[in-house]
Amino acid sequence: MMDRSTLVSSCREALRGRALEGGGFPMFPGEAYRPDATAWAVVALASTKSGGRDRGAVESGRSRLAGSQLEDGRVSVTPSTPESYWPTSLAILAWHGSEKHAEQRSRAINFLLRTWGKHWVKTENSPLAHDTSIQGWSWTQDTHSWVEPTSLAILALRISGPGDHVRVREGVRLLRDRQLPAGGWNYGNTLVYGKELYPQPDCTGLALSALVGCVPRSEVEKSLKCLASQVTRVRTPLSLGWGILGLGAWGQKPGQTTAWVGECMDRQAKHGAYDTTLVSLLLLSLNAGVGIGSFFE
Amino acid sequence: MRVRTIAEKRGGWTRREVLFGPLGGFLASSGFSFLEGCTKPKESADVHISKLATYESDIASVVFAGFKELGVNESEIRGKRILLKPNLVEPHLGAGHINTHPLVIRGAAEAFLRAGASKVLVAEGPGHSRDSLLMLEESGLGDVLREDRISFVDLNYVAGYTVGNAGRRTRLRALILPVTLRDVDWVVSVAKMKTHHWAGVTLSMKNLFGVMPGIYYGWPKNVFHWEGIDKSILDIHETLKPHFAIVDGVVGMEGDGPIMGTPKQAGVIVMGRNLPAVDATCARIMGIDPHKVSYLAAASERLGPIREPHIRQRGEPIVSVRTDFSLVEKIDAHRGLR
Repeated sequence: MMDRSTLVSSCREALRGRALEGGGFPMFPGEAYRPDATAWAVVALASTKSGGRDRGAVESGRSRLAGSQLEDGRVSVTPSTPESYWPTSLAILAWHGSEKHAEQRSRAINFLLRTWGKHWVKTENSPLAHDTSIQGWSWTQDTHSWVEPTSLAILALRISGPGDHVRVREGVRLLRDRQLPAGGWNYGNTLVYGKELYPQPDCTGLALSALVGCVPRSEVEKSLKCLASQVTRVRTPLSLGWGILGLGAWGQKPGQTTAWVGECMDRQAKHGAYDTTLVSLLLLSLNAGVGIGSFFE
Repeated sequence: MRVRTIAEKRGGWTRREVLFGPLGGFLASSGFSFLEGCTKPKESADVHISKLATYESDIASVVFAGFKELGVNESEIRGKRILLKPNLVEPHLGAGHINTHPLVIRGAAEAFLRAGASKVLVAEGPGHSRDSLLMLEESGLGDVLREDRISFVDLNYVAGYTVGNAGRRTRLRALILPVTLRDVDWVVSVAKMKTHHWAGVTLSMKNLFGVMPGIYYGWPKNVFHWEGIDKSILDIHETLKPHFAIVDGVVGMEGDGPIMGTPKQAGVIVMGRNLPAVDATCARIMGIDPHKVSYLAAASERLGPIREPHIRQRGEPIVSVRTDFSLVEKIDAHRGLR
């Protein structure tokens, strides 16, 4: 079994090796620049606080992200698809702490604050159980608000923006409303036609990361229990990574984190190399003491 | 599961075939557009029904025999690169009736390779989960693909290219398709036979939602919900122009599908070149009138036949395999489907 520092080095090497010459990161070696991959790699490499060796990739990544920011502050998957603006929250996290990118960060924050998903007052006979009138954030323009983009926006605004803004409070209200009665979160539907849907560990970990400090523990106790049970068996990077970060945020980082991340890394032998966002998430889960927020303090 | 894998049967693999993983970028571009291979709407179509009691059967031979019955010549498949699009929605251990069974994927892959395909890959962009690797692990598909050395591409994260919306039933002027499609010759929808609480039924046509990348359309692919699920099914089909459909009805799902329903043994594999005709046949097997499924009724106008006299039924007759899937009265999309 690899020890923690070997795993951390392995993730860092993998990420550094993918840094593009002109700045930024692709999803996989040999591919083109991607803003989501870049933001995650920047956050993960910055989390090592190693200074010198990673600083170049971090700074050039931040600048590449700045280059792909659109006029109104959004960062989308590609410049030609401005409606897919969900990477904006990730860019805010990547620019956090960088004086050089304070203006870009500010524009991105303003974009988030004036952007929301589609909302409506539910009719009495609606098959949906959740409160469709609560405003959160969507993945793409002109669609409903969902758990993951809302969680990411809350994280970005609480870490790097006006954390007490009414939009953050409304986002928190949305996440509370979308928590499954039996515990945990999925993409964002709770019950449809009276049937409770299944929780997913990655969504649960992300929502718990966003809610720490905003709601009392008693309100998420069932979700913590559900996630603690799920992470004992999942070994895929997205679910395991967010599972560890979500539990860590609430002071329950699993004692077996290193072993589980090691097992997860080993599974690249069967799944192929993980993409940049997944390697970044594993590095963050190894480095995090008490959840993802601790990197930005 | 059968122990002997495709790799063993073929007696070896090339370097490229050994590669496994989210390999959005590894396929070399040939310049061939699969869109060129589309066919015009036909007034009649052939659909093949095979009885299959369990997944332990020789599914590859069933599919291969279906090719012959349907007039799919080996010359059409020889040297072609085939993309199999399964239906993987959510990862849940022990809920196999949600997703296309891994052994149906294995059987389909083997049948295409036996017919001379140069390459088979499996590609999917799950609608409710960003963790496609978890989907592969919990559904059992990951192990099957690894044993058979078949590549998997996570279509949710693949870069896209924009094409005009050929259907124009939604307001969308263009659709963004994953670049993976540029590197294949045939797109095969390998769907699950299920009821669906928004669309009535989900079969080979609805399954194509999963081709559309999540990075552009979200999780769920909510853009299409707002544009209208029925209209979006038609637009995606008309733009993609898939080449073949195989529907896993060995064990399907009835009741509150596509996730929360219950397993329903129909004991069939249904296949054909024309997706509306295949889906209309599946609906009849499920005891559902395809004319009452909105998107199938609309598809019959220009995408393919759904009227019984216009579908040449091969293999088993519908009457010998019909088993009514239970519907839920309070679900709007289920009312009046019989």
